[in-house]
Amino acid sequence: MTKKQENKTKRKRSWIKADDISGYLFISVAMIIFAAFTVYPVFSAIRTSFVEYKPFGSEFVGFENYIETFTNALFYKSVKNTIVYTVVVVPLSLVIAFSIAVMVMAFRKRTQSIFKAIYYLPGIASGVALSVVWLWLYDSSPSGLFNRILSFFGLSTQNWLNSSKTSMLSLIIMALASSQGSSIIIYVAALLGIDNSTFEAAELDGASFMQKIRYIVIPLVKPSTLFLFVTGIIGSFQVFMNAYMMTGGGPDNNTTMIGLLIFNNAFVYSKYGLACAQAIVLAIIIAAISFVQFKLMGVDVEY
Amino acid sequence: MKKVLAMLLVLAMVCGMLVGCSSGTKETTDGGTGAAPTKAADNTEEPTNPAENAKEDTITLMVPPVSATYLEKVRVWADEFHQLYPNLTIEIIETSWDDHAEKLSTMALAGEAPDIAEVSYSMIGTYAELGVGINILDYMDEAALADFDKNALDYMSLEGKTYGLPLYLSIQAIGGNKEMLEEAGVDVLDVQQNGWTFEEFKTAIANGTKDNRFGFVFATSAVTASDMLNIFGISAGLNNAFTPELKYAYTSSNMLTFLQAIEEISASGYMPNYGVDASQRMVMCQTGNAMIFGKAMPLFEGNINKNNAALEAKDGTAVEGSIPVQYAYLPIPTMNGITESCFGTVDGLMAFRNTKTTDEHLANVMLAMNYLCSGKIAADVASELYLDAVCESGRAVIGDYLVEGRDENNLASASRQMGLVVAPPTGLTADMSSKAATLMEQVIAPKLQALLAGEVTAQAMYDEICKAAYKEFGQENCVSGAIQ
Amino acid sequence: MSEMSLYSKHTRNKKVLYLRNSILTFLLVLGAVISLFPIVYMIMSSFGPATDSASASRTIIPKIWTLDSYRAFFDFNKYSLRWIWNSLLVAGLVVLGNVVFASMAGYAFSKIPFKGRSFLFFAVLVAMMIPYQVTQVPLYILIVNKFHLSNTYASLILPGLVTSYNIFLSKQFFGGLPTSLIESAKIEGCNQLNIFARIVVPLSKTVLAVMAINTFMSTWNTFFWPFLVTSKDSMYTIQVGLKFFKFANSTLFGPMMAGATISALPMFVLFFSLQKYFLEGVTIGAVKG
Repeated sequence: MTKKQENKTKRKRSWIKADDISGYLFISVAMIIFAAFTVYPVFSAIRTSFVEYKPFGSEFVGFENYIETFTNALFYKSVKNTIVYTVVVVPLSLVIAFSIAVMVMAFRKRTQSIFKAIYYLPGIASGVALSVVWLWLYDSSPSGLFNRILSFFGLSTQNWLNSSKTSMLSLIIMALASSQGSSIIIYVAALLGIDNSTFEAAELDGASFMQKIRYIVIPLVKPSTLFLFVTGIIGSFQVFMNAYMMTGGGPDNNTTMIGLLIFNNAFVYSKYGLACAQAIVLAIIIAAISFVQFKLMGVDVEY
Repeated sequence: MKKVLAMLLVLAMVCGMLVGCSSGTKETTDGGTGAAPTKAADNTEEPTNPAENAKEDTITLMVPPVSATYLEKVRVWADEFHQLYPNLTIEIIETSWDDHAEKLSTMALAGEAPDIAEVSYSMIGTYAELGVGINILDYMDEAALADFDKNALDYMSLEGKTYGLPLYLSIQAIGGNKEMLEEAGVDVLDVQQNGWTFEEFKTAIANGTKDNRFGFVFATSAVTASDMLNIFGISAGLNNAFTPELKYAYTSSNMLTFLQAIEEISASGYMPNYGVDASQRMVMCQTGNAMIFGKAMPLFEGNINKNNAALEAKDGTAVEGSIPVQYAYLPIPTMNGITESCFGTVDGLMAFRNTKTTDEHLANVMLAMNYLCSGKIAADVASELYLDAVCESGRAVIGDYLVEGRDENNLASASRQMGLVVAPPTGLTADMSSKAATLMEQVIAPKLQALLAGEVTAQAMYDEICKAAYKEFGQENCVSGAIQ
Repeated sequence: MSEMSLYSKHTRNKKVLYLRNSILTFLLVLGAVISLFPIVYMIMSSFGPATDSASASRTIIPKIWTLDSYRAFFDFNKYSLRWIWNSLLVAGLVVLGNVVFASMAGYAFSKIPFKGRSFLFFAVLVAMMIPYQVTQVPLYILIVNKFHLSNTYASLILPGLVTSYNIFLSKQFFGGLPTSLIESAKIEGCNQLNIFARIVVPLSKTVLAVMAINTFMSTWNTFFWPFLVTSKDSMYTIQVGLKFFKFANSTLFGPMMAGATISALPMFVLFFSLQKYFLEGVTIGAVKG
């Protein structure tokens, strides 16, 4: 090893040390909060998944809750429902949010801000009030709004939330139509972060609009896409409120999501140990999907 | 500068938490036993006040808006109780109707349930299984218990243990527009006094169906589907999930008969062939779009009369497009060879174990619970709901609380139906009750939704129920053939 | 030069430009109508009379306009205004906590190569995957039983003070900042706190604003946790109060929608006041050059 190299390593090492300290300082508050209000409850839930939970004296039951989870037909059905929901909602949401964000960019600032506001607004209202409105839209009687529209076009009315054929579709439409606001502004923020000179250079090379999207925009917003994808998967696998408010999981358990099943086990049947076991199985599924996604898209997109 | 200040504040909070955390971790390891020191710490004035029966105690009570005025009144009653027992204070936790059960469940799971909470009888098994219920027979004197109707008390009991006191017994059946019913050839008064057969009911709804009007509408959308079985199952003799011999009843041939009847009337065109939202059923009756609607309670007479008054006053508060309706509260029709009955649910106050529970404290809890479930309070609550009281002391004074202008025939019909209610069989175990609840939620109600949507046949649904029930209880513990 | 050069500025042909913008406007308006309908309907109904109605007779624009529902809300409880204040305070502090601490953590995770970084970040991510339904009970035990914090602002604020979601969001964003920028500042003798405060934060106004608005919105709309840890009506947040309001008036449409509209109002204000930060964008290139 030459002296020069030695010097370099030495310097590098001292840098690492300083980085360690500042790194820990930077994350300290976040990690304390995280440890107390996230890690502790999570570990508690893991512990609970191995007991038959009772507030005054739980009983250790080993893997019984997990065995019950995997031998319950409803669990599989709810996993299937959740996957169907996720596979449709998450990618479509990304495409919709991305397209809207890109389209909005064509306009002047003022027009842009109006559209952004419009698309963000639905997210502002509380979910409960909006689901009441959606219940009316989906009203199965001939006077429900969607049924009025169908009759107007001469189509037969639907039993929306009350039929196995349309209940899941109804929840999917609702999700796609009402929750793009955050994703859109995250994409807009990412698009605004792209250096204009990149486009100008591409334009001089004669790149078309689609080429710019394909070779500049999509790679450069990758961190945002990855973020939206992973949080989308997490949110979608844990989706609970829509099914709870709109269908109660019915008909015939066709909209029973894992989130709803876990909720029912924990708070309706008070099988809290079982709920924890199912939650952990769910977390493992989500983690596996996210892991693959990270691998595919690269953990860090460095420039 | 502000940011720095805020950061400091937060850091201070975090430090405070850490201190709290280290002293708290010890408690986690020994769970329930940690309660004793907490209790001692809370009652620091204990040693300074040697008078045994005057010891200060606070009882927590968690209640949703049982009736429109309940939450307002319960504060007054708590004050009155405090005047009666100056050492005892009732601390009220108000909840909203939708979220009461989840809040209670979370608190109970955390070992922090309120001392007393309002529960539906159907949840008692779950809480008993969880070990947070208290057998009030151990703490309450016989005389106080004797005040309550046995039938209502049975709802609050499992395996010979009683977990709470009944507050009211709600009867659920059907209601209708009296004028239209008579037009359709129904002798309303006779039906109210003597009941009717399923055939008579079918004829009535056939006659009552006109353009833009259904003879019958029953809200079955989403979670309300199970109402159909609970309330209409009565017509086929399905009073409870278990027979008095403690066999599971929903595998009986009565169930098949019932399901076929539902299949028939939902395809008949006399009732909507789509799911009706719970909020729409009474409105449909008020606007003249339905003759009979369900589920209906005696209480709806109040809502309908209020609307009639609003129509008369033309003050714009009436239901849009509504017509004056004379409300008739009707019994559920009965099929051939079935004894007439009525579906009832009991809501009561249940005593809970929490980390602060001691025997002395429980004695005070019983006092408060008895106070809030009997006498004038019982009469007031029941009467607000157009029901009869379920305790002797309540019935004695209910006359003072009756809502004015109630229809005599409805009143008589309601009290007759209350007498027909059959409580769940005694000797039911918590395990059986919670298994039956799970079957209902996970198999029967979902399949019933499919049946109502025309996606499964009665026979197929019945087979599914039998399969699931045999798995859960064993075939020997399920009824085969007919009940009664 | 307000539009982004993703769209060609060299289109000389006015007609093409006009046609392009028309198509885009049409698509955007169509999408906007669909996504706005529920909220427009919510606001409209809040001005309607407080009566039941059959779904057949429901209209989007109320037939009679009245402020009854709003009046009813402010008369309903003497704490009505305080609920709004509680929500503002709680959401405000949660936003502050997240914008400061989650972004610091996100920065460290993306740009400071400290030991254990990948492991800790992985832990943050995995924790997000456990559904809140099961962590709710231990959290309740912690806050109420161990810390004795029920009916305090601390109980409403602490659990959300730094969320995994925001750490992840800021980490993703900071990852896109050029590392060379930070390296060169470091060589010039800046410490990490200086770099973060002087260089990174000014470049990240957009994402911090996004984080602020999203966090504010989700905290503002949270219902169940505040419902769980409060039992005194002076400590309710607006969402908890609204539930009681709803049931005081049975489930009448008008009052319920009025409540929802009132609760959405502060977010309209916040959204529009933060808008300029979403729009500014930061030209990293300029800094780089």
